[in-house]
Amino acid sequence: MKNLCSKNWIIELIIIWLLLLPLAGLYGQVEIYGYFEPQYAGYLLNRNYNQTGYGKLRIDLKNTENKNVRFGADLIYLNYFGLRHWNILDFLPDEIADSIPAEMLPYYESYFNDTIYLDNAYVRLNVPKFALMIGKQQISFGTGYFANPTDQLNIKDALDPTYEQPGHNALRIEIYPVPRISITALYTPINADWQQSGKLGRVKLGLGHFDISAIAYRFWHTTTDFYTFQSATEEQTMLGADFVGELLGCGVWGEGVYNVMTDERENSYEYLVGGDYTFKNGFYTMFEYHHNSIAKDDYHNYDLNDWMRYITGEVKTISRDQLYGLTQYPITDLTTVGSMFIFSISDQSVVLAPMINSSLFENIDLTLMFNIFIGAEGKAFNHNFGNSGLLRATVYF
Amino acid sequence: MFKYLLGFILLFLTCAIYSHLVWAEDNITAGEIINTMTQTMNPEQSEAKMKMTIMTTSGEERSFLYHTYSKGRGKKTLMKYLEPSRVKGQTILMLNDGDDIWIYFPKRNHVRKLASHARRQKLEGSDFSYEDMGGSNTFVEKYESVLLEDEKKEGHQCYKLKLTRKPESDAGYSRIIVWVDKKTFVPIVIDYYHDKDPELREKQLICTDIELIDGIYTPMKFTMYNKLDDTKTTMEIIEINYNVDLPDALFTEEGMKQ
Repeated sequence: MKNLCSKNWIIELIIIWLLLLPLAGLYGQVEIYGYFEPQYAGYLLNRNYNQTGYGKLRIDLKNTENKNVRFGADLIYLNYFGLRHWNILDFLPDEIADSIPAEMLPYYESYFNDTIYLDNAYVRLNVPKFALMIGKQQISFGTGYFANPTDQLNIKDALDPTYEQPGHNALRIEIYPVPRISITALYTPINADWQQSGKLGRVKLGLGHFDISAIAYRFWHTTTDFYTFQSATEEQTMLGADFVGELLGCGVWGEGVYNVMTDERENSYEYLVGGDYTFKNGFYTMFEYHHNSIAKDDYHNYDLNDWMRYITGEVKTISRDQLYGLTQYPITDLTTVGSMFIFSISDQSVVLAPMINSSLFENIDLTLMFNIFIGAEGKAFNHNFGNSGLLRATVYF
Repeated sequence: MFKYLLGFILLFLTCAIYSHLVWAEDNITAGEIINTMTQTMNPEQSEAKMKMTIMTTSGEERSFLYHTYSKGRGKKTLMKYLEPSRVKGQTILMLNDGDDIWIYFPKRNHVRKLASHARRQKLEGSDFSYEDMGGSNTFVEKYESVLLEDEKKEGHQCYKLKLTRKPESDAGYSRIIVWVDKKTFVPIVIDYYHDKDPELREKQLICTDIELIDGIYTPMKFTMYNKLDDTKTTMEIIEINYNVDLPDALFTEEGMKQ
């Protein structure tokens, strides 16, 4: 808590406000809103209790004066407390951690510095049936809840899948020729190189109670060799599709991609299918099955690169087949209890995440969540990840 | 003599007109009442600013402010939250009488389609479900209606109707009793009965503060009482405009993001 109240934090907050207030004055119709979010987490790691957390301030600006030209931006300030220094090897199976040469060990250490950054800043131009959005913006694709094979831009935390994602620099065009049909073209610039920049096209179509999309994305994929910390890039073309709709009264969805790599031996595919249902007493249940062909189906073969690429988000899963589940029940009008699980079918390990969400007061959301890893050493969800509890309050203004 | 004859003719005509009115009133069917009520409550187009206040089980009050747009007699509805900031910008699109529902989350710039079972979920913890909010034609299409004895309700002379869920219908209530004001055709009270137990009254909606706006009788306040949870939710119309020409594009993904 000391860091939360430190002098630097207050000074930086004042600077942010000093920057924002003239903007609000210049544009009478600029709305300022956002949230403050303190989070506390406790981990039992290697029989030691560790605590860590952050205070996060997000300030959003949005103009509302002109419906055809809009700008939006948000600034995030993150102030960490508790354990800030992490060694990634603490989370890896001992056999793999012990194999790292001594001179490479510093590469596996990381430190969370307090940070302030512009998360999103964009201009959106609208005319009927057409929108152009330029700048750092939220981009999300796919119909899956826990994972999105068609979304190559974001790294989703399957244990916190609805948490907001960072903005991406992009130029996006959306065309709506007729109701329930949309065409999206996206360009994500990388350095000054047109070739290396990402190009995406997507067509979305409404058919009865179904929404169906086809998507293609060409970009340069980075693969890191974590034995040497050398990175290599390779052109990747992703061809995919997704759907969402209803079957026999249940919600159903799915998405799948085929990845064409420069080296065709590395071509891969990934798909996810899911369904959900709300019972008449309000009990909600959801399941998803996720297959990732580049992941391994025998946990004895997980090596350092598999683990590190999974932890750093270069790949979406470490095990080939996974089953996700979510249940929720509203115990009062403002409080929901539930539980998530991720079951690695490939290596028979599981993580359970019971949780409570409550809208404690007007504009205050409270989340209490536990992560319990049930898996032997070396499996996808093994006890090396550390059983943990998390308390998050989000205060909106 | 002529004076008497004229008097007789006038008396005859008056009686004829009166008896015709009485006949017409007595012969109005349950279906006609429900149709007229549905038309009254779902004008061709509307744009409104509304306030929803939830009284929770713990006695706390929560308020939401939102814009709502409706077209095609309620077949298309779009709701955009203005306050509180927790849900600001979140937009709900309901098409085909609420059979198709999408939600737009501005913080993630993501649109999610909900299956029809989600219609049973509460709208932001209120006593209104998505089904209560959408489904303009639900009473006509998903229920069989029977006219009962007229009753006075909340100071209004009312038609009383019993609506029973059609066997093939997926509606969320087993039966509904509705009292419709004879003058304005506004529903004054609606009792919703439990999905499984037709004798268990689950919710009660009371419509008050009826005003004539642009020639349309409009209840300015709706209060939904949840009889099982002992909670209530009120919805008040702050501004409403029926003389609007809403573009079809508003009721699309494009409209949700604007």
